Amino acid sequence: MKAQAVLGSAAVGVGFGTLLLPAVALADTTVSPATTPVGGTVVLTATTCNPKDGDVIFHVTGPNRDQNVRSTTAAAGGGLSAELFTAGFTLGTYTVAATCGNGSSAGSAQFTVTPIGGAPAGGGGSSAGGTTAAVAFTAGGALLGAGATGLVVLLRRRRHAGAVA
Amino acid sequence: MVTGTGLLAAGLNLAPTPPPRPGSTAAPDRSVSPGTALSRSVPVRVEIPAISVRAEVVPVAADADGRLEVPPLDRPTVAGWYRPGASPGEAGNAVIVGHVDSLRGPAVFFNLGRLRAGDTIRVTRSDGEVVTFAVDGVGSYPKDRFPTDRVYGGGAAARLRLITCGGRFDLRQGDYLDNIVVFASRVR
Repeated sequence: MKAQAVLGSAAVGVGFGTLLLPAVALADTTVSPATTPVGGTVVLTATTCNPKDGDVIFHVTGPNRDQNVRSTTAAAGGGLSAELFTAGFTLGTYTVAATCGNGSSAGSAQFTVTPIGGAPAGGGGSSAGGTTAAVAFTAGGALLGAGATGLVVLLRRRRHAGAVA
Repeated sequence: MVTGTGLLAAGLNLAPTPPPRPGSTAAPDRSVSPGTALSRSVPVRVEIPAISVRAEVVPVAADADGRLEVPPLDRPTVAGWYRPGASPGEAGNAVIVGHVDSLRGPAVFFNLGRLRAGDTIRVTRSDGEVVTFAVDGVGSYPKDRFPTDRVYGGGAAARLRLITCGGRFDLRQGDYLDNIVVFASRVR
């Protein structure tokens, strides 16, 4: 009876451990920052890989990528890191799967390549000093200028005509 | 000359209604249970009863410079769904962008800055699902300090971000200096 209870507990423990394992494995690889404007650089880190086993291979897959990136530096917190420059990346979410130098998997992580800065979402037509106001101001200035020129020409002609008479 | 003077005056004092500004800085996202995320489906309509918005939604991505695309200015009543991101109701942040105004006056998201926490946003998808979101907060951000991570980042919960322009219109740049961002979470 006691042995059965122990066996039962062990089975529950193994089952629970199996359930938790994928989550633990996911944390072995990190990408920082998790979002970057296109053209930015992210740092890929496999935290549990031993540098003595050799370089880590980061397999990057996403909207327009399927490439391997080799680790270049030892990470401050342990493991190995590589920098990834995202110029030319299509916008979207990418997955990074890391393999340690000894061939073991170090899990995976995701990062997102986003547009740069904010959105140009306005024409200025409702705002004081907006585009429409500027167009009206410029057109008004031009018309005023043309009118003034016409007036000067008219006055000159009248004076000239008066001088001849 | 009379017309010119009139236009000059109009240029100095035209359209005295700038877009509304948010009442306070954006609150953090509400903690919501991820629930059952929907599969991917293209959004076709967005409705925001509090500010009388009912708009068609078309897919957008980014322009050649890597900036978020917006629907063309000659279609100011249409909103754009950021296609490389999540679709509304999917796990992660769905992003919808719309003009605050066009050359002719207010556009689809002119009143976005008036939204308050708790206001409802409904998005209809091409699969017939209508996803309901509640506003968590509204923020105004200079475009060079746009909160990229909060807008495009994501998690297990289905959230929505609405973006438009705000702040002062810079004549030299031909653009507004700020973006208004509405943060919302799925409630149904």
